[in-house]
Amino acid sequence: METFVQSLVSGVLTGSLYAMIGLGLTVVFGVMRIINLAHGDLVMLGMYGAFWSHVLWRVDPFLSLVIWVPLMFLGGMLLYRFLLRPIVPGGELNTLLYTAGLSLLIANLALFSWTGDYRTIKLPYAITPLRPFGIAVPIPLALAFALAAVITLALYLFLARTDLGRAIRATSQNAEAAALMGIDVERIAMITFGLGSALAGAAGILLAPSLYLYPTVGEILIAKCFVIVVLGGLGSVAGAIAGGILLGLVESLGAVYVSVAYKDTIGFVIFLLVLLFRPSGLFGVGKA
Amino acid sequence: MRRFLVLSLVSGMLLVVAAAPAMAQDTLKIGAPQPMTGPDAPFGDKFKKAYGMAVEEINAKGGVNGKKIEVLIEDHQAKNALAATVAEKLITQTKVLVLTGGRASGQAVEIASVAQRLKTPYVVDHPSADIITAKGFEWVFRNNPTGSIYPQAFNKFITEVPGAMPKSAAVVYDNTVFGKTIANSAMTFLKSKNVPIVNDEAYPVNSLDFKPVMTKVKAGNPDFLLMVAVATTDAILLTKHAKEIGVAPRAFVGFGGGFGVEDLAKELGPQSQNVFSSAAWSGNPNDPAVKEFYKKFHDKYGIWPKEHEVEGYAIVFVIADALRRSQLTGNLDADREAIRQSLLKTDMSTVFGKVKFGNWAGPLGDKYTNQNIYSPDHSVLAQWLDGKLQNVWPKSNAETNYVFPDNTVKR
Amino acid sequence: MTRVAIVAVVLILMMAPPLVTTNQFLLHLAITVLLWTLLGASWNLLGGFAGQVSFGHATFFGVGAYATMILYLRLGLAPWYGMALGGAAAVLVSLPIGLICFRLRGPYFSLSTLAVAEIVRLVALNWEALTNGPVGLLITALPPVALGTRGINWESKVPFYCIIAVLAALAMAATWILSRARLGAYLLAIREDEDAAESVGIDTVRAKVLTLALSAFFTGLGGGFYGFYFHYVDPDAVFPIAVSVEMVFIAVVGGLATVIGPVIGAVFLTTIGELFRERFQVGHLIFYGLFMMLVIRYLPEGIWGGARRAWTGRR
Repeated sequence: METFVQSLVSGVLTGSLYAMIGLGLTVVFGVMRIINLAHGDLVMLGMYGAFWSHVLWRVDPFLSLVIWVPLMFLGGMLLYRFLLRPIVPGGELNTLLYTAGLSLLIANLALFSWTGDYRTIKLPYAITPLRPFGIAVPIPLALAFALAAVITLALYLFLARTDLGRAIRATSQNAEAAALMGIDVERIAMITFGLGSALAGAAGILLAPSLYLYPTVGEILIAKCFVIVVLGGLGSVAGAIAGGILLGLVESLGAVYVSVAYKDTIGFVIFLLVLLFRPSGLFGVGKA
Repeated sequence: MRRFLVLSLVSGMLLVVAAAPAMAQDTLKIGAPQPMTGPDAPFGDKFKKAYGMAVEEINAKGGVNGKKIEVLIEDHQAKNALAATVAEKLITQTKVLVLTGGRASGQAVEIASVAQRLKTPYVVDHPSADIITAKGFEWVFRNNPTGSIYPQAFNKFITEVPGAMPKSAAVVYDNTVFGKTIANSAMTFLKSKNVPIVNDEAYPVNSLDFKPVMTKVKAGNPDFLLMVAVATTDAILLTKHAKEIGVAPRAFVGFGGGFGVEDLAKELGPQSQNVFSSAAWSGNPNDPAVKEFYKKFHDKYGIWPKEHEVEGYAIVFVIADALRRSQLTGNLDADREAIRQSLLKTDMSTVFGKVKFGNWAGPLGDKYTNQNIYSPDHSVLAQWLDGKLQNVWPKSNAETNYVFPDNTVKR
Repeated sequence: MTRVAIVAVVLILMMAPPLVTTNQFLLHLAITVLLWTLLGASWNLLGGFAGQVSFGHATFFGVGAYATMILYLRLGLAPWYGMALGGAAAVLVSLPIGLICFRLRGPYFSLSTLAVAEIVRLVALNWEALTNGPVGLLITALPPVALGTRGINWESKVPFYCIIAVLAALAMAATWILSRARLGAYLLAIREDEDAAESVGIDTVRAKVLTLALSAFFTGLGGGFYGFYFHYVDPDAVFPIAVSVEMVFIAVVGGLATVIGPVIGAVFLTTIGELFRERFQVGHLIFYGLFMMLVIRYLPEGIWGGARRAWTGRR
């Protein structure tokens, strides 16, 4: 029984981080139909941000959210405006490949600047986990979960209650109609990409204390990211959350009760099954 | 206008690239494919440093028969096809006399295949897949122990130390040649001693999360936890998550790879305490020559050498020794054959240990050709104590006393 | 007329290298260029003509490679027959994959092919009895073959070059025939608007499945050649996402839905890759990524596509 509960808890906690990673990608896709292959590398930049501010300025990584999220928002907007926007008319495939090139560029610039040495963020409160009822809950992971919940709630309120949020949702539902309603679709696209990048950075910051830092870690993250967002439904925030937590649970329970070697396979198989029977995902809003 | 600028930028890049750098003059060239970019890059860098120091030392003493030696590293990005390409390049374009390096087993197998077909000696320094010297390739030689030999020091420890035989064991290993061979070898021995294996878990390399595996392992309550990880990140996370979940064996045992590099203690801090690593020998620390090497390496590069650096450093000396004994006429094919003949007669000592290549059978029954006959002695059990990896078994190689059972976890 | 001339020139250039040089390394590079041409052209059939962007073509590559190796190492079947059977195996595998993935459109289709490729990779990694798992399969000796009075020298690059040149030319011929056949027109219609194509009476399912089978066949052939030439196959060499992505790059950079595109794409990417790696050592992938971005930005129709447009535009 303890094993089951431990598996469940670990799955949900890890799943919340997966969800955070998926949020940025899904928001960008929802509005602009762009699959950003460099998303994993943006997460990596967030991770390194947390690391450097911790090492150089002694800022606790979770607090560094305040520094890096706005910076990545701005960075994302600039990235879209100057690098991505000219490509979009070339079609989905070209945009996808362009972001693949961008991903190589970012990851290898990072490798060149920060070297390939493995790094971790060492926090004094990270060594002994909490043990409520005998279930191990590592503190950084618990903090990440809590913050992820807060960020997601903030995102939801933003999208549901503010004018800008509504404009984003409108554009994501139907860009033409939104334009006819007077929404500056280009501006929305830029802001959304900034938002997506900021979310990627936040995901990286939350992830960093529980994982390790390596410039090409984006490659591994992006593969999981796809499963999550498609599972949940491309373009849906609730979907990314559901997809993330579901994947976390499936991997955790799958590893313990089925097979460790095949745990990633189980995720992909479920992914395919969902695609077959509910192609737009669990909460899909976009066209299948 | 913009299009013109971009075109000129691209052509400019191409021109810069096409202007080939000047070829080095009359040196004895050794080729070394290594991963210099990509996920294995830190390891490629270790070998670069190790080769560099060895080459410097040898050239400072007059080189080999008056000629300087040179190690030319080519990046294979940890991809097999690229490893074949750079090996071909080194052999046919750069016209090296000998190959070494490879780093990961997949690439090393490919390089061995190319070297065998193109009749160039390949002196393996680190890749541990048994298959490399078990296919009867007469052009391939190996100094370091094979994966199936890595656990031998651990086997000796549990047999010789009273009360150390595990009452049960959980074995967690990565799904690579490295992981599977070592785990297989360790489990074969344990089974021969009637030790029940309560968990046999293969995980995908570069995993992000080991909590589920460790939850499963904890349920089995193993007496010993054996972990194999070729990737440093896996080794770090395995140990961290095992301790977080609360697995409490009498010993945590790693087997080289990620468990044998400095980063483990640097990143894990106190969580690395008492973790064992049964792996290729890092040189007998009680030997003054080895101590001198350690100090010199640390002074030059700021890191303490471990298995990778020692193997890289030693191999250059092995190759230089063979070169010294060969009659080099300038005819590439004849020279390579002469070097191969010299390698067959190698009988020397390096910082890594004694070297003599021979044909014999490994612990899992593989028939080796040109494998260092002293390899079984080159497996040493070390332990992470206060941030340093120190040899603890066999006693003749021990720097300090072992700590067993593990006193950092509550049982 | 000029187009035929250009194609003829390209074909001659493809066949030329072993006749003009004995430099083994250059021949090796030429062989890898031709292998990528084959793979790019195979992908092009499905991706360029039909607009179905697959990110999982490594599945067929790997299946072809493993089939060839297993048939040779376990059953003694010579690799040249093995390659053909490898292609056939890939076709067989493509049928259920098509069944599953063609229900989806656009990015969903692409991601589903990626998922399938990953599943197949993990199966190959773990099903040791069949594939030898991570240890992989190694050919140590190739069977002797007599050609006239002499045997083929498998240590030379020339026989391999001839084989891959023929295979690449076959793929290009298939592309050309497809572009002229009715199926080709159907595929272009599907690419533009699948629903409209259906409403006009085109059996889109049959068209897509047929094209996928053709594409898988050539890719599988390429996989078989890979095993045969490189002598060693392990799951990470033939099934990773990187192989699938590279195929897409080659087809796109060269020029989608063109016959010559894949050759140009392969030549460019291989040469640039080699040059960058040689010159820039640690930072070379930075420039590779930058190069990709520049090509897509300024030549969205690929190099051949852009060249064609410039040619016809100027006149």
